[in-house]
Amino acid sequence: MRHILSFLAICLIVATGDPASAQDSGMQTRESIMERQRGLGLSGDYSLPLGQPPKPETVPPGSVPQLGTRGYASDSDIWRALRDGSANASPSSSTAASQLMQVIGDDWRMIRHDYLIKYAGWVLLGAICLIALFYLIRGRIMIRGGRAGKTIPRFSMSHRVAHWFLAATFILMALSGLIILLGRPVLVKGLGEWLMVGKLGMDDSVVTTLKSFNGVLNNAALQGHNLFGPVFILSLLIVIVRFMKGNFFQKADFGWILKGGGLIGGHASSNHYNFGEKTWYWVVVLVGLMISVTGLFLLFPWLSDNLRFHQAATILHAIGALGMICFAMGHAYVGSVGMEGSLDSMLRGEVDVNWAKEHHDLWYEEVTGEKVTHDHDDTAPTGAGTAEGTA
Amino acid sequence: MSFLEFVEGPMYYAAAAIFVTAGLWRIIGILRFGKKPDLAPPRGSATVGRRKGNLRHFFPRGLFAERTWMDILGGFGFHLGFFVLLFFAAPHIAFVERFTGLSWPALPRWGFIIAAEIAFAGLIVLWARRFSDPAMRQISDWDNHIDTWLTFLTMLTGCLAMQESVVALRATHMLFVNIWLIYFPFSRLMHAFTEFLSRGAAGASYGRKGMNP
Repeated sequence: MRHILSFLAICLIVATGDPASAQDSGMQTRESIMERQRGLGLSGDYSLPLGQPPKPETVPPGSVPQLGTRGYASDSDIWRALRDGSANASPSSSTAASQLMQVIGDDWRMIRHDYLIKYAGWVLLGAICLIALFYLIRGRIMIRGGRAGKTIPRFSMSHRVAHWFLAATFILMALSGLIILLGRPVLVKGLGEWLMVGKLGMDDSVVTTLKSFNGVLNNAALQGHNLFGPVFILSLLIVIVRFMKGNFFQKADFGWILKGGGLIGGHASSNHYNFGEKTWYWVVVLVGLMISVTGLFLLFPWLSDNLRFHQAATILHAIGALGMICFAMGHAYVGSVGMEGSLDSMLRGEVDVNWAKEHHDLWYEEVTGEKVTHDHDDTAPTGAGTAEGTA
Repeated sequence: MSFLEFVEGPMYYAAAAIFVTAGLWRIIGILRFGKKPDLAPPRGSATVGRRKGNLRHFFPRGLFAERTWMDILGGFGFHLGFFVLLFFAAPHIAFVERFTGLSWPALPRWGFIIAAEIAFAGLIVLWARRFSDPAMRQISDWDNHIDTWLTFLTMLTGCLAMQESVVALRATHMLFVNIWLIYFPFSRLMHAFTEFLSRGAAGASYGRKGMNP
């Protein structure tokens, strides 16, 4: 920006010539203004020296007239030439070698404002509503036949700590990221302008207060987001490595899909992880890596000179993060209040035997060597669902 | 008086006074307990044992180290990162200089950020271990969790104020610093000082018996 402004300043100085000879260059002086006010020298172009007819400027072929004061090249022509790159300017950095300005920022800003920020909040709200609706329809998914009171180990300590390490950093990143993305539209536009001033008739000063508050929040959120970013990447890599075993798709997963995870067509068998869990794992891997890489480019902009790449990175980063937040909310729901016995696996490392038989029967058979029969399939307690969760 | 002036003025003085007075009270109380006279003839040096007790337990040995690698990584990461943050962050040195006139070289900003990241990662791992291990959960009480969260929030608010451009963020950090200082002497955060006493006492006892602590 500094280079562009310097360049423009040089152009202006060159175009206007020696500031000392203002009269010659057509700049307005106090005398010329006073004479014009007295009705003298009104030639139709008050920027011209009095008594001089406008002289056509000679423009070399192939070049674009620079910012002049004679009126032959309007400001809009010059700006247009700069925008489309025909001005033959030499910027220090840009997306094109001879282009002083680039206009892809307009597209980027439009995508960000008209789509991303506009719909991001609704996407999140939609995900919350879906989860709530699922809870209202299915209720809490209980263990058929109740708890056996006997447990088997499912996750080691390193699995659990890796999981919670990622969960903690993800929550911090998600909260700070949402403040950065949606702080202004939610706090200032939604809460302040729409609700407090528009609906409740409060004084406009409340919007100013909310703007200041949003500024403080954003300042803090940006610091936090940048600080925890590398910690999130570290925790993500640990989880990717630690949970990779068992998360490749297997034959049983097709059956799980056909039965809708147990929602349709009876019991759906699964291995250590079911199809839903495996999908979540690969979402974490792919989307997590994508937001990590794009985040690193945003954190260290000198990694690339390509402005288009940085603009794409901000959009991809936000879309990926939003998707992951939605998935994570669903995961957190099924892993806690949505399904009886799920949380034990990550809090104690052990799960109830009946939970294991019901949700991961193939894994249970593999671990214990005991054949699983689904006697309780038709005797589910009231309120119990049949879905095999993705906790 | 603005909120910032309050938390950096009267409240800070009060918090520092409580920290020093109550901390000394506890340490002096522990030292005054003394110990029963050992009538057995010494077979080694208690002083050497005290020193060994402190140094040798900095890193667990053998199988124990293998089983506790997570605590070692998390513990060292957090404590070293926190130490560096506390004593080598430029704003902290400037704050100390304001009150005492003392100053020393500060870390560059990137060093501060890396230290903070290591400290945060360590603290999160330690807390995750605390609540996801049934045995650790059993022996943990509210004080452990409050210690962790208060330290976390104090560090977090400090890092959120890193740009040093918003008064409200600095004031929030100072508020948490004051609360942390007040809570410190009455909690297990005192292990920062008592750790050396207890390890030293155990080491001295072993040393006097001619054993390796």
